[in-house]
Amino acid sequence: MAVEKTLNNSKHRATDLNETEIRRIKAETGKPVIGYLCCFAPPEIISAAGAIPYRLTGLPGDDNSAADAYTEPYGCSYVRNILARATRGEYDFIDGLVISHSCDMVQRLYGIWTYYHPLAYSYLFNVPHQVSSQAQRFYKRELGFFRESLENFTGCAVTPEALTAEISLFNQNRALVRELYVLRKNKQPGISGSEIFSLLMAGGTLPAPAFQVKLNEALSKAKTAGAEKPLKPRVLVWGSIMDDSALFRMIEEAGAEVVADDTCIGFRVWDKDVPHTTDPYDGLTEHYLINFQCPRTDRGPGIKRFDYLVERAKEYSADGVIGYVISFCDPHKFDYPDLRDYLKKEGLPMLLIDDNYSFEPAGAIETRLQAFIEMLG
Amino acid sequence: MTQSEMSRAKRHLETTARMKEMLPRFFMRMMERRFSNEPLAWCMVGVPPELLKAFDLLFEWPENFGTMCASRLVAPRFIEVAEGDGYSPELCSYVTNTMGYCKLFKEQGEAPEESPLPGGMGTPAMLLGSGFICEPRWKWFQSVATRFFDVPVYSSDPLAPPWDIDPTDPRIEEHYLTLLREDLAGQIEFLEKQTGKKLDIAALRQIMALSHQALTYWRDTLALRKAIPSPMGSTDYFHAIIPQMYLVGDQEAVDFYREMYEEVKDRVARGMGVVEEEKYRLIWFGLPPWFNMGIFNYLESLGAVFAYESTYNVGDYFEVDLSDPLEALVRRTWQRALKMHKFGAEAMPELCNPAVFGGFVGSSLLEELTRDFSLTGAVMHLTRSCRAVSFGEVHTRNRFAKIGLPSLIFESDMADPRLWSDAQIKTRLHAFIETMEKKLKGAI
Ligand code: SF4
Ligand code: SF4
Repeated sequence: MAVEKTLNNSKHRATDLNETEIRRIKAETGKPVIGYLCCFAPPEIISAAGAIPYRLTGLPGDDNSAADAYTEPYGCSYVRNILARATRGEYDFIDGLVISHSCDMVQRLYGIWTYYHPLAYSYLFNVPHQVSSQAQRFYKRELGFFRESLENFTGCAVTPEALTAEISLFNQNRALVRELYVLRKNKQPGISGSEIFSLLMAGGTLPAPAFQVKLNEALSKAKTAGAEKPLKPRVLVWGSIMDDSALFRMIEEAGAEVVADDTCIGFRVWDKDVPHTTDPYDGLTEHYLINFQCPRTDRGPGIKRFDYLVERAKEYSADGVIGYVISFCDPHKFDYPDLRDYLKKEGLPMLLIDDNYSFEPAGAIETRLQAFIEMLG
Repeated sequence: MTQSEMSRAKRHLETTARMKEMLPRFFMRMMERRFSNEPLAWCMVGVPPELLKAFDLLFEWPENFGTMCASRLVAPRFIEVAEGDGYSPELCSYVTNTMGYCKLFKEQGEAPEESPLPGGMGTPAMLLGSGFICEPRWKWFQSVATRFFDVPVYSSDPLAPPWDIDPTDPRIEEHYLTLLREDLAGQIEFLEKQTGKKLDIAALRQIMALSHQALTYWRDTLALRKAIPSPMGSTDYFHAIIPQMYLVGDQEAVDFYREMYEEVKDRVARGMGVVEEEKYRLIWFGLPPWFNMGIFNYLESLGAVFAYESTYNVGDYFEVDLSDPLEALVRRTWQRALKMHKFGAEAMPELCNPAVFGGFVGSSLLEELTRDFSLTGAVMHLTRSCRAVSFGEVHTRNRFAKIGLPSLIFESDMADPRLWSDAQIKTRLHAFIETMEKKLKGAI
């Protein structure tokens, strides 16, 4: 099975490649690396504090047994994988850790990880589940506490100027990612879903300037490619965290084109700029709390909370939606029935892949993908 | 599981037996009010019941309804309907129980006949959620209002400081207290709008005073269980929480807990235990299997009695100044958060709101409990569909291992009996009792 081979072959795994790269960058710059999970604690602040933000990723399908000594078997297998890797010392290149209270599982991972394997620096960035005005005020105060804790660790003050400069730099990358996505609206996209995914994986792990180089390379290549490609059914991928391109490749092998996505490491992170505000922390609040679309945030009842997704599906002329949920992922699993029904009403069929963060058995997933894609075709 | 493997609980106290008359009386009163079309709120544990009472609002607890459906073995029916609708079997079975119930309710235009309460939960006019403890708790009402009842929702979102932050730092304290105050103000604003009434502060003060009297008796009753033999077991404990959920702030609830306290005190004075020969004294972690509460009696038949439970306890009773009852509500939540923090909130950081009863003992409280309650072992129920409450059990087991107290983790669920594997669970309980026995004899 092609996918199995790729998953087990570490040379191709984005996580491994990025980790090799960060070790090199760390040695070169001498800057501390702050590992983070989820996007609520802004990497812009970490950079402005003189550290390197690095989005920690896992290895799907890997052995999670090292986590058993500290935590229950019932829990998000991505989170268990992160804990297993931390326990085995595989994140030895990070100097500090920040975990945002995005979902229950991630929040509890923080407590267990730092209790058993303390780090020189660690911070739980507490995030309200809502976007109410009190939630916004709490989030903004929390940004301040986070900044202070980083300053204490790195010894480098985060000036408003430095922060604004980082925001601009990150925004430049956001604009380039959006440019790449626009190309996917073409009938024959010049860049495949799996290619763009691997690129975005690097976006969480490389310092912003280095990522910009990669983005520019990809853009010039994508602008010229695609014209000769055959027309295929177009799908949007929605769901839990994916830090391996396996599903994208499976979809492509099954004969469809992934033209858009709504996942943690995907477009969610890049689709909007951090607004420039007089007080940069207002802009960060607007971007990371209010605008960041993740089902862990309560935007009230009603299907309107999925409007952005339906609009995206239309914008990219998607023929259907493939959902991917990891076992025990409450935020996504709760939303699935409402989302599926809304999409159906809009004429968009949806297939749900429920996975334990292994993409196994690949044969069964591939069969379901093929049947769905045939139906779209 | 087969139905015959499930058994209802046998209780030991006369006071809890009297609930059989008290609760139907209460539910009848509620039904009458419902029939006169008074608005009904569905609420979640975490919403201060005292506040609901101060608005003289009719309320229902879907979580508690889940426990009732579980104990009548009708939960699987509702859960299967929800699963047919696309809800994963991994999701909280209280939630899927509600979702299946709602679907049938809407289809049939009335409470499904399997409903354990006559008239079921009724049609809500509003939903008051709370994200305290877990994520499913606000996704739940979001989905109910999206799919079934298009009514206004307010979800409270209390947060608590993580275990490695100093909550006594005045700036941190203010950071969290501000959120708690604003969140409470939001709840009140919502309730005022939905009920068309102004909050009656004097009534709230009075209700809180009565509620705290009841909680004081409850706390003191629990402390009496330090006695050997333990005068009260888990079957009484888990049932005795219901009056505080429904009758909070009523003199009837105060009387109930006072009578229970007196009965338990009397049993201590007379040396009356739950079983004839108490050999093992246990602590229980997690939600109970509501569909098979007889498992506690089964353990009692082997000489094992639970003297303490991690869920619903009010070892978190706090003195609060009722002159400003709103600030008292905030301070009560905050004190709870501080206590959780002090006793180890690394595995379960958010359990800060003691509105009804809290749960989970912090990991550094274990030594104290082991000593004070003369424990010989710990049994933990790993509920597959509620990770929120069971997460941290492996960590707790590690902490107990340090103290040298044997512990057992067994897997099942709080509401879904399909996850109960009787023979396997009993085999494991037996093996655990043997381990405790060896330990008591000094063999290990
Ligand atoms: S996959 Fe789901 S449960 Fe796991 S970390 Fe992400 S949101 Fe949380
Ligand atoms: S704490 Fe557990 S049982 Fe209660 S609502 Fe949350 S997941 Fe369900």
